[in-house]
Amino acid sequence: MKASSHPQVFAAAGLLATGLVLTSMAALVVGTTAIPVDHVWSALVGFDGSRDHLVIWTQRLPRVLIGAMVGAALASAGAIMQAVTSNPLASPGLLGINAGAVLAVVLAIVAFGTQSGGILVWYAFFGAATAAVIVYALGAAGRGGATPLKLALAGAIFTAFTGSVTTAILLFDQSTLDQVRLWTAGTLSGRTMSDARAVAPYVCLGLIGAILFSPQVMTLSLGGEIARAVGQNQTVWRAVAAIVVVLLAGSAVALAGPIGFDGLIVPHIVRLVVGIDYRRVIPLSMLGGALLVVNADTCVRLAMPEQDLPVGVTMAILGAPFFIWLARFRVRAA
Amino acid sequence: MAGALQGEGGLTMRIVLASIAIMLACVLAGLAYGDFALSVADLLRALFRSPDAPPQALMIVWSIRLPRVLLAVLVGMALAVAGAIAQAVLRNPLADPGIIGINSGAALAAMVVLVGLDDVSPAILPVAGFAGASAMVAAIFLLSWKNGTSSLRLLLIGIGLGALASAATTFLTAVGDIGDVQRAMVWMAGSLFDSNWTKVAVLAAWSVPVMVAAWLVSHHLDATLLGDGIAANLGQRVQLTRTLLILGCTLLSGAAVAAAGLVSFVGLLAPHIARRLLGPLHRALLPVAALTGGTLVVIADVASRMVIAPAQLPVGLTIALVGAPFFGWLMWNRRNA
Repeated sequence: MKASSHPQVFAAAGLLATGLVLTSMAALVVGTTAIPVDHVWSALVGFDGSRDHLVIWTQRLPRVLIGAMVGAALASAGAIMQAVTSNPLASPGLLGINAGAVLAVVLAIVAFGTQSGGILVWYAFFGAATAAVIVYALGAAGRGGATPLKLALAGAIFTAFTGSVTTAILLFDQSTLDQVRLWTAGTLSGRTMSDARAVAPYVCLGLIGAILFSPQVMTLSLGGEIARAVGQNQTVWRAVAAIVVVLLAGSAVALAGPIGFDGLIVPHIVRLVVGIDYRRVIPLSMLGGALLVVNADTCVRLAMPEQDLPVGVTMAILGAPFFIWLARFRVRAA
Repeated sequence: MAGALQGEGGLTMRIVLASIAIMLACVLAGLAYGDFALSVADLLRALFRSPDAPPQALMIVWSIRLPRVLLAVLVGMALAVAGAIAQAVLRNPLADPGIIGINSGAALAAMVVLVGLDDVSPAILPVAGFAGASAMVAAIFLLSWKNGTSSLRLLLIGIGLGALASAATTFLTAVGDIGDVQRAMVWMAGSLFDSNWTKVAVLAAWSVPVMVAAWLVSHHLDATLLGDGIAANLGQRVQLTRTLLILGCTLLSGAAVAAAGLVSFVGLLAPHIARRLLGPLHRALLPVAALTGGTLVVIADVASRMVIAPAQLPVGLTIALVGAPFFGWLMWNRRNA
């Protein structure tokens, strides 16, 4: 893979940003009833209570905003995970975040019956954070601290265990399975502006952290010897990276369910295009991830307005072929 | 790690013998425990078909428990060896056969059969699972083939195609009839519910020759782990070897999937435990990983029969529920090693 020059990176960033603005606008315009662009604009700058403006503010804008947040958060969290563990198979799910969130949500439904989406967001967030703490404690125990392999193994153990508890519950409890199966496939339907507002601070904190610390992530990705040579305290920065990942991925899972694709694949796509400099890969992953999720969700709304198709599915249909094509033509035999 | 350096030396041999002893003990436990506990004396009399064995014990041992325990052993062994091969070929300690599409292909095929089609007999599940797994591996292999393959390209294309197949499976999970979805989940969790001698014979015929062959070419696995360049310098025909190893991995895990559904975690865990005991050389690693895998599945099967009797948990779940804490405890105990 070749590293690319600055103009190319700026071009890629500009292209992605433009694409994101355009698709977001398109996502606000299209739907069961098309809303003209000037109405969309007037709704954004001044809400007047008309039907079109209500549709924008209660239905479409939350989905676009949350889709962009989720996509940016998951993709940058995945990029950080892959950098810190030096493992192309790493994704935010590796820290047990997805499995923890799902178990928390399932337990909440079993214990307290049907819950509104707004409350489930907090259970998911709590489950994700708890999972990350347990996995990190196990992976970081002992001499050498949180080495990539130990973290990965701790994550695999935790994910296998909680995943099995979840499956065991769902095998004996059909009604809970029926309630969570759409959410576990990833969906943005039924999300409101208040959900977006509740989680936005955590996402923003995570995104800012990811960009600020991207030079340190870059150093971590080069491996222990180089990190020591430049005097980086690996223990501290691995912990910081883990906190950023939990903020990002925990919020994303809380909002949209345990979507795995974005955090695993978008960083690969970005790396295959611009090389391995994480100072570029992280911001470009944010843009690319946001673009992918907003597009995927718009496709969901257009393709099956009556039936709620999980956004995780359309995302794979849109993103996977492109990624496979890249992997086929950009990865030289090693 | 010292064991790897001793070759045929004492430590390796002792570990192999200990693994065999532990597995035999677990097999006996698997034969003795169940809804109807057998005394050790009756169990031994039945096993050796002595004339004074109670007919009930004969029936339980020979037609119910023995095939089930043997199937558990074979499934565990096949998955462990497949996992060790996958980790060597992809040069990634986190790889398991799932990465090269086995699980995602098999799961999708089972989902399509159970949710997508009406009125099919569950008997075609093993065939569908095996076919789905093989088709997926073939697709990944062909798509990553461009004047040969590379570990990284296989890994990435495996991730991409796996994501597509999982998306399709997820879609069926989200929209299918809830009863069908639950039945598919049981199969996907891996279970030994309907073990019989036919399944044992089929799995043995598929997997034992492949495991023996893998052990005979274990030096090729060691070379593969060192990277294509070094392997080629050692005189290995790199592309051919990789193709054959992937084929072996597919046969092993595909046969295990057909026999027991998707039993996860064994392919990751067993080679890892064996590596901690013996180091990375496959000549000693493969047999011990196989024994560890067999032991894991047998213990988990006993547990899954006992925990919520008379109902049974799918064995794949029990493996994770028992194996994960055990593995975590191992990690915690050896945290300063």
